Amino acid sequence: MEDNKRYPELRRRLSPGWWTANRHYTMYMVREWTSLFVALYSLIFIYGLSLWAMGSRADFLNFLKNPAIVGFSLIALVFTMYHAATWFYLLGAVAPVKIGRSRTKPWQALVLNLILLVIISYLAIWLLVLR
Amino acid sequence: MSQDIATIRVTRYRPEKDAKPFFQEYKVPYRHDMVVLDALNYIKAEIDGSLTYRWSCRMGVCGSCGANIDGEPKLTCASFLHEFKGRTITVEPMTHFPVIKDLVVDMQDFMEKLVKIKPWIIREKETPPEQGEYKQSAKELERYSQFSSCINCMLCYAACPIYGLNEKFLGPAATALAYRYIEDSRDQGKEVRFPIVHEMEGAWECTLVGECSVVCPKGVDPMLAIQKTKILGATNAIKSLLMPRGGR
Ligand code: SF4
Ligand code: FES
Repeated sequence: MEDNKRYPELRRRLSPGWWTANRHYTMYMVREWTSLFVALYSLIFIYGLSLWAMGSRADFLNFLKNPAIVGFSLIALVFTMYHAATWFYLLGAVAPVKIGRSRTKPWQALVLNLILLVIISYLAIWLLVLR
Repeated sequence: MSQDIATIRVTRYRPEKDAKPFFQEYKVPYRHDMVVLDALNYIKAEIDGSLTYRWSCRMGVCGSCGANIDGEPKLTCASFLHEFKGRTITVEPMTHFPVIKDLVVDMQDFMEKLVKIKPWIIREKETPPEQGEYKQSAKELERYSQFSSCINCMLCYAACPIYGLNEKFLGPAATALAYRYIEDSRDQGKEVRFPIVHEMEGAWECTLVGECSVVCPKGVDPMLAIQKTKILGATNAIKSLLMPRGGR
């Protein structure tokens, strides 16, 4: 077919603002961005631990008591909780557990994991700070 | 029954004449039971015979009538006009695919991906038909039946930003179909399909946006299939590390 001319390809590509197109995309982007706070907090925490390792436990606690660190920690906590919740939910959606004839729902995984998170966090706080 | 008028804005693009696509607006009288596809058919029959789009079954089975309706990938035959009452309805070709004309997109890439994952039952050795069919229990069927409902409408690809960024990505429907065969108890082609779904642009490219499963008109949940593919791949890799021989 000699007359089968090729025309320039027209294709709608992803625009930089694609994630504002609908609510799901935006929630996805929020989920991804909140991980930045998780990473930043981890770095701060590792730095704090290094103070403990090289100095004393008091150095570590003093560092954590710095108002700027406390403020950032609170913000990071909110974002981390959101980030964790989205993944707990996804975990429930991707790997439901079969109990008898029914399967667990994603929100059940979310609730169970949040409870576990609180318990484990409390244990960690107790070990590091309260003890 | 009373008739309302729908205002529809449709992408027009005729590569032999138009340098760029543009919108053309049509007024279509409609009844309560009419869908966007009916409106397109009305336009073609009564107003403008040159409007080009794909369709066949009118009942959500053939998967050929997909388009972006008000920005969302949908089957035009499953979108009722009355749901858009009082608004202009915008109908555009599905995102991420090359446009051939008006609403018709080039499906070549998806067709190649479908063939690539070998969507048929692979047996190490075929038994002759006289020996009967390969039997399967209801429980075994349940493992994959959800993923076998795909109608190849490609809406999930139009919804997937990862595919929009990298068209080499195997994508939702093809991975879901691969998983459907991997989980089929009659299939013995895991060794063949595993490398395909786990290569660079396979399942691992997915970052769980999840929009594929939102737009899928058949409840296939490709997002789930992709994650299950990842889980299978990861457990297989660990198994072969721990038990280099056997242990499959
Ligand atoms: S998985 Fe769903 S959205 Fe994707 S092609 Fe199949 S039917 Fe269409
Ligand atoms: S025309 Fe067949 S799915 Fe819409």
